[in-house]
This record gives sequence, C-alpha cells and structure tokens, in this order.
Amino acid sequence: MGDGDRELTFEDGAVRVVFDLRVYRQTAIQKAAYRFADRFTAVLGARDGHALAAALQFKPTTSAATAREAVRQFYQELLDQELREQIADETTAVRTLILAHAFSNVDLIKRDA
Amino acid sequence: MTDLHPRFAGRAAFAPRADYRLLPCRFLALDAARVVVTNEVGEHVVMTRPQLRAFAGHGLAVHDPLYRVLKAKHFLFDDESRAALDLLALKVRTRAAPIARLTGLHIFVVTLRCDHSCHYCQVSRQTADKTQFDMTPAHADRALDIVFASPSPAIKIEFQGGESLLNFALIRHIVLEAERRNAVAGRDLQFVIASNLTHVDDEVLAFARAHRIFFSTSLDGPEDLHNANRPLRGGNSHQAALAGIARIRAALGPDHVSALMTTTPASLPRVAEIIDEYVRHGFRSIFLRSLSPYGFAVRTRLVGGYDIADWLAFYREGLAHILALNQRGVAIREELTALLLHKMFAPSGTAYVDLQSPAGIAIGALVYNYDGKIYASDEGRMLAEMADPSFCLGSLDDQSFASLMTHDGLHGMLEDSLAESAPMCADCAFLPWCGADPTFHRATQRDVVGHKAFSAFCAKQMAVLRHLVTLLEDDPAAARVLRSWL
Repeated sequence: MGDGDRELTFEDGAVRVVFDLRVYRQTAIQKAAYRFADRFTAVLGARDGHALAAALQFKPTTSAATAREAVRQFYQELLDQELREQIADETTAVRTLILAHAFSNVDLIKRDA
Repeated sequence: MTDLHPRFAGRAAFAPRADYRLLPCRFLALDAARVVVTNEVGEHVVMTRPQLRAFAGHGLAVHDPLYRVLKAKHFLFDDESRAALDLLALKVRTRAAPIARLTGLHIFVVTLRCDHSCHYCQVSRQTADKTQFDMTPAHADRALDIVFASPSPAIKIEFQGGESLLNFALIRHIVLEAERRNAVAGRDLQFVIASNLTHVDDEVLAFARAHRIFFSTSLDGPEDLHNANRPLRGGNSHQAALAGIARIRAALGPDHVSALMTTTPASLPRVAEIIDEYVRHGFRSIFLRSLSPYGFAVRTRLVGGYDIADWLAFYREGLAHILALNQRGVAIREELTALLLHKMFAPSGTAYVDLQSPAGIAIGALVYNYDGKIYASDEGRMLAEMADPSFCLGSLDDQSFASLMTHDGLHGMLEDSLAESAPMCADCAFLPWCGADPTFHRATQRDVVGHKAFSAFCAKQMAVLRHLVTLLEDDPAAARVLRSWL
C-alpha cells in the first residue's frame, strides 16, 4: 500500500489506492478484487511503470469505517493471493505431471472391434 | 568407525534433506490465526500463518514435526519420498473413479399429481385426479433403455412425483421390466420410492417386500410444524407419515425407510425439537436441508423468508445438539456433515450429485419427467417448471444414452462446472471437499458458474466446512463423534 492512511481516504464513496507491482503481481490484485466484489467494485487503472492505480468503489450506503475495514481486509487477502501465486508458480508443473500420470492409462476413445 | 555390515547404510544416509519441494496445495484462512491447507486429493493440515510462510518459503526445518506431517500427507516431497508423485496420482485417480462409471441414479417422475400442497414444493403440483400428468408406460420403457445403456455397475432407480404412489401401477411396471432386463445386464440394481406415505397399503408393501424396495419420505419435525409445512387436504400429514413409517418398518425392516426434512422459516427456532422428533421415531440420521430456490418455495416467497446466515445458525445449533446426543449414547448423525466428512477423510469419491466437480448433471443422475422430457438433474426439471429449460436434454421420444452423453449443451455446462477452473473456486482450500451447483447458480444468478462472492451456495459451504474443521481441531469430544460417522 505504500504510505499508509493517505490511501485510505474515503471520498465520494471510494477509496483510491496505488499498488506497487513489484510487491503484488497484477493477477493477485485481480483475484483479490474479484473475491471482494460483494463489498466493493475495484476499478483498475492503466499500469504506470511499477504502479497500478485503482478506485475501490463502495455502495452508496457504506460508511467510512466499514469501507476502511474492508480495505484493510482486502490488503490481507492480497498477501494471501500473492502467496497462492507463488505456490502455483512452483507447483503447476508437478500438478500437471500428477494429473497426466493419474489418467495415463485411461482409454478415452472407445475402439469398436 | 562403524560395525555395520556393508549391506546396511548408517543413519546419516536416511536423514531428511532440507531441500524439499512443494506439492500442489491451496490454503484459506480458518480464523484470525490459522489457515487450513489442502492438497490435490483433499487431505488437510491446519497450521499457523508463520508456519504457512515457513512451509511455502522452504524454511521448514526437517526435524520440525510439521515437516513430517506435511511429508506424510503429500504436501511436500524430498529425496527420500520417491513414491510421493506415484501415490498422489493413484489417489487422484481413485477419487475421480466415480466420474468414469457415469450415470448411476435414474429418477422417474411417474406422476406430477399430489394430494399435499406443501408451501416449499419444488415442482408444480396438480390435483390428484388429472391423469394427463402421469408418465406413460411407453416413455417408461424408453427411459429403461437409457438406464441400462449406462455403463454404471450400480443402478438406483428412484420414483418421484408429485406423489409417486398415485401412479403405483407404473412403478410396478418399471420394477418388473427393470428386473427382467437386469437378469441379463447383471447390475447392482436398487429401487427407492419417494413418497409422503399416505397411499402405502398392503399391496404396495407386499410388492416392495418382494422386490427389496426402499422408501424415502418427508418428516419436517413435530406434528404442528410438519402439518403447517405440508398441508394434506382433509387429513393429517404427520400422522399419515408416521403410520406409513411404522407399516414399512414392520413389513420390510427398520432400515427400509428414511426421512428428509426441509427447513422453513418456522423451523429455525425449533432445531432441537426437530432432531428429537427423529430420535423419538427411531431414525438414526437427519439431513438439515435448507430451502432450494425453485418452484413453490420461490412463488410463495418462502425462499426469502430467511437468509443463509439464519440457516447456518440453525445448522450449528442442530449439529451441537446431535453431538451432545451422541455423547449421551444416542446414535444419530447429520447427513450433510457425514457427506462432507467423507470427502475430507475417505480416499474414494462420493456419489452425491450435488457436490461434484465436474457437476453430477446427467453424468451422475438423469431425470425422466412425467411428460417424456429428460433433465440433467432433479433441480433442472424444477427450474423448467419456472420457464427456464436450460437443463432439459430433450425427449424420451428421440434421445438415447449416447446422444445424451454427447449433448452439446450438456458438455458446455459440464465444462463450466469444473470448479478447478472457476474463479475463486480454483484457489479455494475447500475445493476438494466441495463441488459445483450449476442449477443453483443458474436459478439465482442466471449463470451456471455464478460469481461466488455473491453465492449463497458458496457462503453455506465455506461456513459449514470452517465449522467442521474448527470442531475437529479444537473440540476433541466433538471430533471423536464426527470421526465415528466415517
């Protein structure tokens, strides 16, 4: 998140944040935003170097305190999502190998005599 | 210096190596301090967040007890675990085996007629004197062609309605014809009549006894609650159900009748009473089912009568009551819980069609409707009654098992129902214990995949599974009972 409370200003129903893409990859940001879609809509901006600006747009009735708490939880989720991406990077090849091995003896095509 | 025979290596040769590799796994917050981590085949480990970071960052010490647990359960492997990939592949194959067996459950809607007018009924009911709502024998025979074309070694034929016993003549025809065909086919063939039991008589019982037929009925709880949920014109549904249960047990044996309940808003404050009613009448299991968003439950606005948080409170209280009963020596289990525990701990997959990935639509169950239409799931025909025919696969007049299994629309829905490729589900630690419910999401979001952040199905699964893992971790007495249900 970078420099703390400044990004957590709740204005016009939105909290504006800037993600550092050296810390969080874009896939992790998108997955976390999808997961939080019931709380806010993340409007992602264009990438600017290592920075990705976003407006987290809340429903009109949302209070500032509720919005800030949602954003705090969102950043926790972002850390989890980044770790999931790291684990996936390391294990995707072996998952493919396991699945290929598991089903290697399955004859998927019926061959009529 | 060593005195070992050259055939044996010293201890150092067997010491674990620090350079372990991760195996595929997913994690999810269990609470503020802990995460639950599952591997590709649903084995799980609960650990703290620092432990998760150490594990994922290759910082776990080889002598740490957690290292051994993770290695034994196939979350990591090192130079000493040469068989890890082979074993994992074998487990994946074992869990997926039921998919290859194809359709085992075949539901015959023999009539839409019914004498009850239940507020939550999921299909349009019709009065008991309209025979145009009965399945014809010709359609039943065509359906049996499909049943026996399925390669499944185990075939369950379930009769549903309406009130199925209002068309007992057709049930008799189907059972006799299925048995005739099975003399050649040699399947493990089973019949279940779903009925409110008001029409169980000596003729029905004698036939059921001769053909080993099981019964499934509804029991919603104490008499006032049951009768409020399930009005019977000119009668008492609760008394009729109990009388039917008693007659079936006397004629066929105690295990030949099971019961299901549906949770209505009126049920919410009465879960202990409902469970006690089941115990009082000799049942050893209860399924605490939430309302489905189909049929009359929607039209009568019952579905909006409570939300999933209300049902979860009902479930938690009910499960606590059931666990307490077990600890006092009363054997009764909750079926959703037992099903999820099977997915968590058993090496084999389950046949429960509502929690599969890919979904159990058509490949797990087929529904032959009274009018000759074929549906990919029971909920699919209920959705069709609400003018959404998405799950209709055609008609008994022109479809075969092969044409059904190669149906373009079905393949599209099956592909969409793979939780492994669904947003959110793909990263979810509960994926191996969960599944897809395309009919629910089609009904609630007009999309078979559904956005899980808005899904009551997802909210229910997550909350129930978190509750079960927490009980298993933190409540030894509850864990003992839960494990005894496996």
